[in-house]
Amino acid sequence: MRPRMTLAALGVLALVTASGGCSQNSGTDGGTDNSAAATGRTQTGVIATDPKDSLGPAPEVAGATGGGTITIIRETKISHLDPQRVYTFAGLMNAPLYSRFLTTWTDDGNGNLTLVGDLATTAGKNVNGDCTVWEYTIKDGLKFEDGQPITSKEIAYGIARSFDPDLTGGPTYLQEWLAGTPQYDTAWDFKSNRTALPPGLTTPDAKTLRFQFAEPHCDLPFAASLPTSAPVPADKDTGVDYDNRPVSSGPYKITENTPGVQLVLERNTNWDATTDPVRHQYPDKFVWTFGPDPDAAANRVIADNGADQSAIAWNGVPSSLVTKVAADPTLKERTLLTPTPSATRLTINTQRVTDLSVRQALNYAIDRDGLVKALGGETVASPTTTLMPPGTLGYRQYDAYPAGPNGNIDKAKELLAGRTPELVLGAADDSSGQEVATQLKANLEKAGFTITVKSIPADSKLDETKKKDNPWDLYVDSWAADWPSGAAILPVLFDGRTIRADGNSNSSFVNSDAVNAEFDRILALDPDQQTSEWAAVDEQIMTELAPAVPLYVDVADNIHGSKAGGLFISGIFGSPAFVNAYVKQ
Amino acid sequence: MLERVRQELGLSDPKIEQYLGYVKGIFVGRDLGSAQGGHCDAPCLGYSYVNNEPVTDTVARVLPVTLSIVIPAAILWLALGIGLGMVSALRRGTWLDRLAIGFSLTGASLQLYFVGGVLLLVFTYQWGIAPVPHYTPFLDNPIEWAGGLVLPWVALAFLFSAIYARLSRAQMLETLSEDFIRTARAKGVPRSQVYGRHALRAAITPLVTIAGLDIGAALGGTVITETTFGLQGLGRTAVDAVRSGDLPTIMATVLVSAFFIVTANLAVDMLYAAIDPRVRLGS
Repeated sequence: MRPRMTLAALGVLALVTASGGCSQNSGTDGGTDNSAAATGRTQTGVIATDPKDSLGPAPEVAGATGGGTITIIRETKISHLDPQRVYTFAGLMNAPLYSRFLTTWTDDGNGNLTLVGDLATTAGKNVNGDCTVWEYTIKDGLKFEDGQPITSKEIAYGIARSFDPDLTGGPTYLQEWLAGTPQYDTAWDFKSNRTALPPGLTTPDAKTLRFQFAEPHCDLPFAASLPTSAPVPADKDTGVDYDNRPVSSGPYKITENTPGVQLVLERNTNWDATTDPVRHQYPDKFVWTFGPDPDAAANRVIADNGADQSAIAWNGVPSSLVTKVAADPTLKERTLLTPTPSATRLTINTQRVTDLSVRQALNYAIDRDGLVKALGGETVASPTTTLMPPGTLGYRQYDAYPAGPNGNIDKAKELLAGRTPELVLGAADDSSGQEVATQLKANLEKAGFTITVKSIPADSKLDETKKKDNPWDLYVDSWAADWPSGAAILPVLFDGRTIRADGNSNSSFVNSDAVNAEFDRILALDPDQQTSEWAAVDEQIMTELAPAVPLYVDVADNIHGSKAGGLFISGIFGSPAFVNAYVKQ
Repeated sequence: MLERVRQELGLSDPKIEQYLGYVKGIFVGRDLGSAQGGHCDAPCLGYSYVNNEPVTDTVARVLPVTLSIVIPAAILWLALGIGLGMVSALRRGTWLDRLAIGFSLTGASLQLYFVGGVLLLVFTYQWGIAPVPHYTPFLDNPIEWAGGLVLPWVALAFLFSAIYARLSRAQMLETLSEDFIRTARAKGVPRSQVYGRHALRAAITPLVTIAGLDIGAALGGTVITETTFGLQGLGRTAVDAVRSGDLPTIMATVLVSAFFIVTANLAVDMLYAAIDPRVRLGS
């Protein structure tokens, strides 16, 4: 075994870390900068180097006390509770309360992330060093809410049932990688093989889970942190009805579920804190209350009466209340204002805008500050000049076209050399789409571009712009990766070999042999070695190809009651996280 | 997957077959696909992929919310509206009449989302004297039930009673000028009986018609009320279903709404006979 293999086999090596060590959950009360969105927050992350990092209990949260109820007020119900079907932000933040996964992230709320083993003792063992065989050892002392032990069999069964075409909605990475095809549900039929496991997934014993892929998948430790890897007891699997009452393996169990009205989670006495490196069990209950619109929810939390003192408004502070919250120091203290990993860019259709200098001129001309103001200011968006959002592991700030916050019209004109390119901007026909389009048109026309805005029905905009023969030169796209790795962003968005007739995530349709070769080279590396490489290829794409104009990342702006503590914005999903939550007594 | 859902929903079947299957499900139940939970007992209204449950369960859960909002609110708005209208008619031209007209004009000019928002802002968020609107089943805790719904009741009663106050005032004034009222007075019938028994009974018939339609429509879903106060009733469920393209729930909510409107109309027709002897058959 070569040295690199040995290291990878242990699932070790730091990815990139500013502190030079493995970051742990500091147990602070969020730690976000409330004066403004902490736009300079640079996320760092590691795969745990020491199996001890995957041990519990999670560090105590300073000042946290037990008892009370945390209420989460949300306009609409959570789409799914069945862990194999969870894939919305609300679902992904709720699931860790009642489900555990093969791996998980420790997150201190300040951008320091560590991928650790959750049900497993480590983040994963790359057996051959080529990312085709991965092995996980399951921890001792794990139990479901009914006291039944959790073994590799229940975890494997959970993954197997995700092949059931009835159980839609969840991530499909593990299924597609095991089956070797996106049509995984036809490659392996779960219904007629309920007692078997999908190809490539084996459980040599009750403590071991093994993945064997036909192709290398170095991102498995990341993908295993999604709820697809949650254990499910086969004898309690009720198919589609499991969505209403999944069996808990986490610190809380679901005791009441009235869809669209209320979801109540109470303490699971069979959860053992010493096995869990991330979660706590401070409040007696978590109650999701569904129904109030964002204004009503925020007003309730601002009023800070009764049970709402320990509540959080999930849908954020609406624009009508932003000024009120910003002007009141006591309210400002109760907000979580943090940039999220959801990045928005102005995509340039390189099939139509073939001249690199025109694409570069667009980058010089962009007025990011003006755009952010038009969107509602720093509580809504934070400008960015990179393709990967600041939350990505190994992120490095750069600006390939330094033009200042308001753009450099003169530099853009210089590149255009007297030309006035006529470009068609396809914009969603909803209010925000039109708002952005109006701002971009006014901004870019100052540099000499002639921008024609054409509306696209909002509900079909994504599908339409993903078509290879779409008739627009520019359109605004957003991307939020499932894990903060460049591998989940850059190859997905800029690998030209994936271009097909429609359904293209590479909607700039850029295809560079040099960049594609870089993707192949980096993807063949261990995940720990990839991180810094992605930052370099990010800059290479922008410098050599300029297939987009990075615009901004979304900012989460949530307000909570005066007695809610331990809440922070997840560095992975950009939404409020509850693993450290407690009620101030 | 899309094709599979199409098949399970029977969208490729002839329309008449789909319709008959749906109607059959309501009366005797029917078998749905495995992704829809298998057999669906009568009254089967289909399976919601969005809520992951039979639509009958959804309707059974949200209907009591709407009933709890509408029925007490209707009692309030009828009592308040007809009462004000009568007082206004009997005290025509006095300050009481002007006050009642002012009240009804104000109510008729406002929208529920505004009144509801103001009520919430003042009584719940600012003063904290009214609980956050919520639904508790009546049988679980009647006081909690009433407390959680008092603001929607007040908002609905204020707006609806305004219309009834104006209508009942006009009807009463017209009825009071009728010959039979003068005759009753001339015969020495006590004033309370003249107004309460003879005049009101004659004036109320058109009000019953409108009340029947209003209550029927409200039972079909008080969309704005439920949205303003964050209550998950039939109306809000219907809107959510439209937003998410949840066809079985859309069909069920439309069906239930239609049922209430038809039933309310039937009830009004029957009430006519009870209120007004002139429309009784065979009399």
